Amino acid sequence: MPGCKISPNRADQIVSNVRMDKNDHAAVRAVLAGDKEAYGALVVHHSHRLFRLAFRITGNETDAEDVVQEAFLRGYQKLESFESRADFGTWIYRIAVRCALDRIGGRRMDESSRVAEETDPELDEVQVADLAAGPDRLLLSSEIRAMQEMAMHNLTSTERTAFMLRHMEDCSTDEIAAALEIQPNAAKQAVFRAVHKLRRRLAPMMVRI
Amino acid sequence: MKHLSEEELIEQYYSKGEGAAATRQHLKGCAECAEAYAALGSDLAEMEFAEPPARDASYGERVWESLSRSLPAYEARKWSWLRGGLGMGLSYAAACALLVVGAFFAGRLWEQRQAQNSAAIHPQQTQQPVAQPQERVVLVVLSDHLDRSERLLVELKHADADSAEMVSPLRDEARGLLAANRICRQNAEKIDDPALTTALDRLDHVLGELANQPGGLNGATIARLQEEMNANGLLFEVRVLRSRIPDQQAGGKDRSTGGTI
Repeated sequence: MPGCKISPNRADQIVSNVRMDKNDHAAVRAVLAGDKEAYGALVVHHSHRLFRLAFRITGNETDAEDVVQEAFLRGYQKLESFESRADFGTWIYRIAVRCALDRIGGRRMDESSRVAEETDPELDEVQVADLAAGPDRLLLSSEIRAMQEMAMHNLTSTERTAFMLRHMEDCSTDEIAAALEIQPNAAKQAVFRAVHKLRRRLAPMMVRI
Repeated sequence: MKHLSEEELIEQYYSKGEGAAATRQHLKGCAECAEAYAALGSDLAEMEFAEPPARDASYGERVWESLSRSLPAYEARKWSWLRGGLGMGLSYAAACALLVVGAFFAGRLWEQRQAQNSAAIHPQQTQQPVAQPQERVVLVVLSDHLDRSERLLVELKHADADSAEMVSPLRDEARGLLAANRICRQNAEKIDDPALTTALDRLDHVLGELANQPGGLNGATIARLQEEMNANGLLFEVRVLRSRIPDQQAGGKDRSTGGTI
């Protein structure tokens, strides 16, 4: 998405993307004119970015790869509805978000149990390795990361996706709202709730560090 | 002092310090909120999530390879696209035609309503053109009737009571005028024209005598009718009435001979 991060090496990437936007439009026209292979160029250009996005939403490598394939498949099928004024990258990004959310939709049943778990005060007592107990910071770091991942997966899919788009992809509220197909205010609230829950969940660990 | 909520702090954090001026101003002046903001920033900065596993450079090509086999050829879709275009074109044409027809009928309706409105505002002006043709017909019929009646009365006035040659044409002409006279008389009554009604009434009597005299016209009857006609000045009256008609045709206000039959 235009306002979202694409990769750490920003300047080169942005220049490259501007060039690619023009190529994207040419490729879309070629595909619609009957050149199926032109879609291959779009897939090659956007698949890495879509994989990162899909992985962050699904948290699973296999699911992320499936999401990428499904997003490009849906994109191809809907290519006639793609407006030439729009950015193909933004468009396929939104499709990928939907695919990823659909993919994890089956896990929503589990999320309700996670909410119950979250409200259990005993579970807020996070067991984290004490610095005084040993010098192995690598182990501590991996434990912290695991706790953060667990905290992330305790969020609802909308909260997790909104937070991920905001915190990691640097997307604006409007971009998040568009990707999730919700109102901007709802997108903002989803980010607020995600941050609030993460902080509360990770607070004990933060204090000890 | 009202402190900033967590939501405001989060919004400020993600706007990279470029958030609302009021929030920035508050953070400068409020140590408590500045501390909360710093804690939030610290918490969020320390959140490290696993980076997605790296894909090699050929990942995109592999994705395309697996996809391209299942994607239908767009060549076939091109025709459906064209068909879609044709369908859209026809739809537009139908919509335009509908619009034109709608506009035509709307125009007709508007014209009718305008005429009705105009009639409501100027009833006399709008009724006149409608009534005029009928009135003209009536005037022509009446004029013709009076003309023929005048000629009949002139012939009756100068008729030789003993001449059988004169009697038969008078009777035939009277029979022909009788029906028209009754219609004209009814019309004169309808438009409330007493002079015309009286004259046509007298004329009706004379015509009836001429047309339907039992045993046929004879010299005595003709002589009696001549006397009556001279006495009541019927011929003069018919001439006067006939002379009024050209004035009315010229647009005179007197509507005594107007109306419909």
